[in-house]
Amino acid sequence: MNETNLIDYTKFKLKPGEEIQEIFGTVAGIFIVYCNKCYKRFEREDKEEEHNKLLKILGKDAGKIVGQIGVDFLCNDFLSSKELLSLDLSDCDGVGVISCGIGVQFVAQLLEGKPVYALADSMQSANPTSGVAYHGISLEREKCAGCDQCYLNLTGGICPIVNCPKGLLNGPCGGAKNGKCEVNPNIDCVWGKIYERFEKQGGKLTLESVQIRDYSKPSLKLKKTLSLQNQNLRSEGFYGGLHPSEEKEQTKDKRLENFPEPEVAAIFLSQHTGKRAKPLVKVGDKVKVGQKIGEADGFVSVPIHSSISGKVISIEERIHPALNGKELAIIIKNDMENQLDSSIQPRKDFDSLSKENLLQIIKERGIVGLGGAMFPTHVKLSPPKKIDSLIVNGCECEPYLNSDNRIMIEHPGEVFTGIKIVQKILPVNKVFIAVEDNKPEAVASLSNLLNEPSNIEIVSLKTKYPQGAEKVLIKRILNRDVPEKGLPLDVGVVVLNVSTIFAIYQAVIEGIPLIQRAMTVSGESLSKPGNYLVKLGTLFKDIVRYCIGEEELPNKYELKVGGPIMGIPQLSLGSGVIKGMTGLTILEKHIVEVSEERDCIRCGRCVEACPMSLYPFYYAFYGKRGELEKAVKFKVENCIECGCCEVICSSKISILGFIKQEKKYARNSIKA
Amino acid sequence: MLVTQLKPEEEVLAKISGKRLFIFGCLGCKELYFPKEEVAKFVDGLKEEITGRATLDYLCNREFVKAYIGEYSKEIEGAELVLVFSCGVGTQVVSALLEGKLVYTGCDTLYLNGFQGLSARNFNCDQCGQCYLNYTAGICPITNCPKGLLNGPCGGAKNGKCEVDPEADCAWVLIYKRLEKLGKLDTLTKILSPRDYSKNITEYLSQKEGVK
Repeated sequence: MNETNLIDYTKFKLKPGEEIQEIFGTVAGIFIVYCNKCYKRFEREDKEEEHNKLLKILGKDAGKIVGQIGVDFLCNDFLSSKELLSLDLSDCDGVGVISCGIGVQFVAQLLEGKPVYALADSMQSANPTSGVAYHGISLEREKCAGCDQCYLNLTGGICPIVNCPKGLLNGPCGGAKNGKCEVNPNIDCVWGKIYERFEKQGGKLTLESVQIRDYSKPSLKLKKTLSLQNQNLRSEGFYGGLHPSEEKEQTKDKRLENFPEPEVAAIFLSQHTGKRAKPLVKVGDKVKVGQKIGEADGFVSVPIHSSISGKVISIEERIHPALNGKELAIIIKNDMENQLDSSIQPRKDFDSLSKENLLQIIKERGIVGLGGAMFPTHVKLSPPKKIDSLIVNGCECEPYLNSDNRIMIEHPGEVFTGIKIVQKILPVNKVFIAVEDNKPEAVASLSNLLNEPSNIEIVSLKTKYPQGAEKVLIKRILNRDVPEKGLPLDVGVVVLNVSTIFAIYQAVIEGIPLIQRAMTVSGESLSKPGNYLVKLGTLFKDIVRYCIGEEELPNKYELKVGGPIMGIPQLSLGSGVIKGMTGLTILEKHIVEVSEERDCIRCGRCVEACPMSLYPFYYAFYGKRGELEKAVKFKVENCIECGCCEVICSSKISILGFIKQEKKYARNSIKA
Repeated sequence: MLVTQLKPEEEVLAKISGKRLFIFGCLGCKELYFPKEEVAKFVDGLKEEITGRATLDYLCNREFVKAYIGEYSKEIEGAELVLVFSCGVGTQVVSALLEGKLVYTGCDTLYLNGFQGLSARNFNCDQCGQCYLNYTAGICPITNCPKGLLNGPCGGAKNGKCEVDPEADCAWVLIYKRLEKLGKLDTLTKILSPRDYSKNITEYLSQKEGVK
């Protein structure tokens, strides 16, 4: 970042020494709350600075400080109240706050009944001459006073309100000497600059009419309404999260259709969390549709089946779409005969099957979590603890994607049967089908079949990303907090994606193993966006050719497995579709890419957006310095990698990149 | 936090009619208030020739804007003026980077409470540089009283409500109640000196520069 343009936005300074001494004279013991400040270049931890200054002012009265705490973004009432209410303040008779006025007012309200002292004065930011001036999110020299009647069009884009100490709107005051301001001779007269700018633009400075600032703008009422609206939207449903542009229109009404049979399929042996499957076939073998070609290796593993009939032409390493690096894949050439394996036997119902039979079928048919995590479903359905609630996750909060939506619209009956199968394995008291309210058709389609009273409830949730994340959803629906490093089963809940439920139905009733899945192909510049049932192993190349009409992906686009936020950028079109792929999204590359290099300015937006109540900017800060162990202290393992922090980052820092490194470090350090 | 609104259409049209335009759009701090749809509708309805459009978030970030100006240099060169839809900061950044170009804004800007910290909050701070909160039980009379009164209520409050905005509580009533709760009503006997409007950051900055 260009340093010369960055400005010091320091917001507050310690009150004059006498005033602080006076306050300390009236108390016996005081607890100090520091705000760690916002809007500044975040390059070192200078928590001590203010404290040392305070000690110097206090002299021997420093003994009255009974404790202290530094809080990031003290004005973030949700996080800060948790922090402050956990403190033991019984042995102090006052709390001193070193922050801007917002922080002090917040603490005073929170600790009602305890005297709260402001030990700092807030300052008008940065500009030495102007009246109150506000800035945006970046640390730029340009400021804005938010006067709600922008004059920039009359003044060559230079603001006279914030740059002229008198805020003159109709030309200079006449006091300028040699182009310098009479109030502060160190700065240029802004009207001189405005004149020069007009000259440069080849125009003449002519003010069309006399301007008078209307101080009744913006109206208090408007500001209040907007503030309230903002607060409500932010805190709706759960803390944090974002409202990204949904972009679901493109494929929302497109029926699921079969994607053309691939000529060659590359079927990875690792399409699940846990140990990779062991190949059961060798080069030259003939295979049929649904034939098991990889055997589960252990309990946390599932078998792999062929999605087409044909001949194994190679077993080789290819770039895996989700795992970092290459993985073993079985390459099958399609004979287009579509011969079904004899193991595929449909049945009318599952009444005669025991819980154990059902679990066995789910395992043998290779079912894993289809929301993206690919955790083996039979393991999830064999929890070591008592489960009372099942949440069927149909949120699909990621932009562009519609495959879950289409399954709920087109296959509600199958979804309900799938739920009944799960209920037989796992007798729960209550089933919730969670759908975001941007999918009214799905809600209607499911509700139509829910005519008799049952313990199944369809919950329509106000749309907000990342509502579909397990932990967020559990908190939202059941108001239960999954413990740190814990799993949903720790709070008696199992969450299954609606596509997984559909796959369970297909496995048990239709007898078909997991060999194809519904996915959305969407994004920018597609000629055939849509929702497709795609055979596993179908090459990305084929999808690009079919949906864009080009052999190669045009240079300015990038391909992501999944949606635009959590999706994984792809390096190779030779990869094949895997079980956890919810979609393929093709997006234009941004001119300004996320970077590991840029500096954090502590704007705090990531903190506000993190649904797990973490402080993501520390991950970038420590990651950049290579101090991974410190990131662990800030609970990096609790991160669900939803990407909200990176999306909202005002400096476009690759926070997620750092987080992944740090989580890896945390996992390894536990092992060691 | 700055919030952006579309200017009255006639006002913008008067500035740009018949001109070739390049359009910069901001996504408004990725918050919800940026009038994205209104801007799109307005731009779509323009009869003027548009040489190019760039929409980015955080238009206030000079580095980002520079990258976009580089990428769209031809389109910008071909335009007679650059029209910016963003807050005052974004517009000024663009105009500072395109000094020889006419840069106009299509927006008016206002700010929300809690601008200093994160997004809108219940509390606001006017940065007066002489914090009174210690005398007012942590409730700010500058931002909560429309008249900014420092030494008690104006006398216009009815049933604890403000006479300027009858929906708002009188800040001084709230202060009294909070002080009562704290057992510190005697604080009110101290008369606060008038607000010194000349107080600002100058002193702080000059000290800092002195250090350098």
